[in-house]
Amino acid sequence: MRVIIADDEGPARTRLRGLVEEIGGIEVVAEAGNGRQALLQCDELHPDAVLLDIRMPGMDGLEAARHLAGLEPAPAVIFTTAYSEHALAAFDACAIDYLLKPVRKARLAQALVKAQRLTSAQLNAVTQSLEGAARQRTHISARCGGRIELIDIADVAYFQAGDKYVSVHHRGGELLIDEPLKALETEFSQDFMRVHRSILAARDMINGLEKDPQGHYYVLLKDRQRLPVSRRHISELRALVRAGRIRT
Amino acid sequence: MHLRDLMLAPVRWIHPRTRGRRHGPDPVLTVRNPVRVPQYPQLRSSPPKLSPVASDNPGRTLLQTGARNAGVKTRNGLPPMFIPNEHRPEGLYLPNFCNLRMVLAMVVAGELLAYVLSLSSAPGGEGRWYGLIMTSLFVQWVALSSIALLCVCRRLMDGWRDLVTTLYSFGLVLAVTVVVSEAAYWGGAYLKLFPAREGWHGEFLIRNLTISAIVTTVALRYFYVQFQLKKNIQAEAHARIQALQARVRPHFLFNSMNTIASLTRSNPALAEEVVEDLADLFRVNLADARTRVPLGEELALTRRYLHIEQLRLGERLTIEEDTAGVPLDAAIPMLTIQPLVENAVYHGIEPLPQGGTVRLRASLDRDGNIIIKVANPQPVAAAKRRPGNRLALDNVRQRLAAHFGGRGKLTLDDNDRYYEATLTLPYEKAGS
Repeated sequence: MRVIIADDEGPARTRLRGLVEEIGGIEVVAEAGNGRQALLQCDELHPDAVLLDIRMPGMDGLEAARHLAGLEPAPAVIFTTAYSEHALAAFDACAIDYLLKPVRKARLAQALVKAQRLTSAQLNAVTQSLEGAARQRTHISARCGGRIELIDIADVAYFQAGDKYVSVHHRGGELLIDEPLKALETEFSQDFMRVHRSILAARDMINGLEKDPQGHYYVLLKDRQRLPVSRRHISELRALVRAGRIRT
Repeated sequence: MHLRDLMLAPVRWIHPRTRGRRHGPDPVLTVRNPVRVPQYPQLRSSPPKLSPVASDNPGRTLLQTGARNAGVKTRNGLPPMFIPNEHRPEGLYLPNFCNLRMVLAMVVAGELLAYVLSLSSAPGGEGRWYGLIMTSLFVQWVALSSIALLCVCRRLMDGWRDLVTTLYSFGLVLAVTVVVSEAAYWGGAYLKLFPAREGWHGEFLIRNLTISAIVTTVALRYFYVQFQLKKNIQAEAHARIQALQARVRPHFLFNSMNTIASLTRSNPALAEEVVEDLADLFRVNLADARTRVPLGEELALTRRYLHIEQLRLGERLTIEEDTAGVPLDAAIPMLTIQPLVENAVYHGIEPLPQGGTVRLRASLDRDGNIIIKVANPQPVAAAKRRPGNRLALDNVRQRLAAHFGGRGKLTLDDNDRYYEATLTLPYEKAGS
């Protein structure tokens, strides 16, 4: 069995590695200091299981697990945490296993034996039970030519729904993902707003609102792109203009 | 069932009209989201018993934990401060008139009022009993009709301001008094119970209305004051537990334990040091927070804390300390600097994958005040920050105020690039 250990604290990783090696028959193929690293390592090394700390900087364990569920083959996930946070009630409810730190060797061995892949449904259910900003992913992931591609949500200018896929327009180009626009709108409602039936634009990127001679409205993005606005979303944008957030 | 038993029995009876509505028999008992209760680990061992209506209406059930006696220990032996926020009475100050206990209380109060009225007005002998019976009949009609109406209107009053609720209830009781008085007058006239004299109708009405207005005012005032008292007791208990919780961040404790567990294998000597540091930190944390210590001690404690964090976070944590120019014998309330540094690490360093620098500077300004600054980088925009509870800051502020009055201050500079907390306190020698 091959595992990856992800924890932002060095001593915690060292201890887990020590315990895993003592159990025997298990090889630690990599160590990661945050969720993003863990995800990229999993994409490259295809381990059987990942020991994921829930609280990590950048991308936390829960989000990493959501991206991991999209890998093929997806590794089994075992969460670790130092403190029984209230979120753990939700983990219990969704039959997701976790280890409390300092981890006991017997408990770790048991968890590794019955470790299993987490389904998106389980992870979504847990995420739904969280509050506010914790629900949002910090990255969007897509599989691209067999490799995983990660885009920081702060780099995304807008999402546009196409026939089958949603295209993510970000600072570095464009990427297709297989997620409904509606779900993206719900998840990122703090940072993104619907301006058109098929477009979800980043609030931070919206620079202005303009009207052409035919009476059609457009939003101007900070990178000079123009996006069409549908009639039913004009009022919300006008409110932003009135609040002085954007100009006309 | 004996009357006394009824009065003391826990509330089991619910008016059919209120089932499934937003208000249970008592606002303290209403649980909007019972799923959240098990969050409190203390409550987990004995789950709250739900009343029989619970099954068909999970969102709006009654908790029979005895929590309705605010300020008293609840049935599972926990002080009421463990009652989650949702249980705190807010909104309507009127008690729930739909519950049996309340109805009985009102009947008894009405009867006492009737007795007082008949004692003061009716003649002695046989006439007194007759007067008491008639007055009781009248008072009970008014009281029971009023509470029945208030019970029905309760849902309406949700979200009203207290003044509106008061005026509405007052008007309602007076209206009921008018209706019952009229009925009594015409009934009495028909049965020839009254002296048929000129102007009696008006006098009867005005007397009844006046008594009713006075009694209603007193009753409403009583309900209002009682509600405020209940609210205050719970707020106080809540504040106490918050103050306690503010002192140790459980995450820190368990992460430190984990660090120790790791070091025990790789570097036992270092593990020993961490245990000593942790012991010192907890000794201070468990001590009386009102104690003043010399600044040197507080700084030493802060360094012990940072030592643990340094081992845990490794290269991610850089510490810059400049505290050379400050008198180490200055008196400072204990645990004023350490919580600020802990905040800096928790909010400023831990969320950063690359880590950052915590700056601790202390100096003596020209006016002889001690200035201590703790700064950390801002990992994310203010809007998306980790939900901080600000408890630590409030706690520090309170204690500064308690020791130095207006001369001790904690100010915050929260901008896009960094976050800096500044403590200002007068230089008073410790032990003086």
